[in-house]
Amino acid sequence: MRRASILGVMVVGIALLLWAGWHNLRERKLAMQKARENQVVLIPDKAGQAEGEDDLAPKMRGKQAPNFTLKNLDGKKVSLDDYKGRPVLINFWATWCGPCKVEMPWFEQLRNQYAAQGFEILGLADDADAGKDAIAKVAQKSGVTYPILLTDGKVQDAYGGLDVLPMSFYVDRKGTIVEQTAGLGSKDQIEANIKKTIASGGATETGGL
Amino acid sequence: MPGPKPKQYVTYQSDQHDLEAGKREVVELHFRVAEGYHVNSHTPKSELLIPTALHLDSSTDVKALPAEYPAGTLYNFSFNPSEKLDVYTGEFTVRLPVVAQAGAHALTGSLHYQACDKAACYPPRSLPVQIAVTAK
Repeated sequence: MRRASILGVMVVGIALLLWAGWHNLRERKLAMQKARENQVVLIPDKAGQAEGEDDLAPKMRGKQAPNFTLKNLDGKKVSLDDYKGRPVLINFWATWCGPCKVEMPWFEQLRNQYAAQGFEILGLADDADAGKDAIAKVAQKSGVTYPILLTDGKVQDAYGGLDVLPMSFYVDRKGTIVEQTAGLGSKDQIEANIKKTIASGGATETGGL
Repeated sequence: MPGPKPKQYVTYQSDQHDLEAGKREVVELHFRVAEGYHVNSHTPKSELLIPTALHLDSSTDVKALPAEYPAGTLYNFSFNPSEKLDVYTGEFTVRLPVVAQAGAHALTGSLHYQACDKAACYPPRSLPVQIAVTAK
């Protein structure tokens, strides 16, 4: 009798665990669906369609990515030229920017997914007042292990002036900016841009670091 | 070379304030956040967020006491429902206690704020503020 009731409790416990797992998965799917419904793309898909939104026009698309040399969180100098021959995503973000922090874990995952193709991400903290410690803390909390660089006030201008964050530049192996996006997009859009960047500029080279 | 004037997401409605000289009086400063945007309140819920704050130049004619800011409203980005923000949207009023000497004066300063919309954020801005005061 006692054995039967213990068995009964175990069965109920397992059933509850299974239900909780399914419920959690469903909640996450719904949250992701809701986020997708609300996403806004601030830059039109084709250049020249940004009527009245000049400050958000992808003016760097098709240009050579300007080189920069910035310090990382360890104080070591890092240049874009160090990544010559590799597809690179340059992402400008800030500690006070909520949408930026949503993208960062996606970036980390996609960076690992496409590492074999030489793909790298550089996170440029456009955050003069926050201080290195706050920047490092946010990066760590977001699970980011790709290089975080501290901006110098000049790199923003070199990339057309940053009127909005997050702002991302997808640079192919030849150093051409193949895509520029502003604002939070979906993970699928980001991945499509990464694939486009990897495919552009010839995929035979694997050089770089 | 000075760059183009940065776009503002908050506007200030400049009013004339008639006050009694030498007496503590409160002037109301009316601001409006552009539609579709929000700015952090004076007391955002995270130390990383940039609070809305009024910075005034010192004046011997008009002594400004610490400003009183309205409470914000709770807001969250749809993609992050768990993180509550404390923000101003639409119109908000900052109450500024002052003691003015007799005469017509202009108190100058700026409102520092940082705006976002539902998918992006904009670098911090300073909105010039001029408060016209006539004390008799």
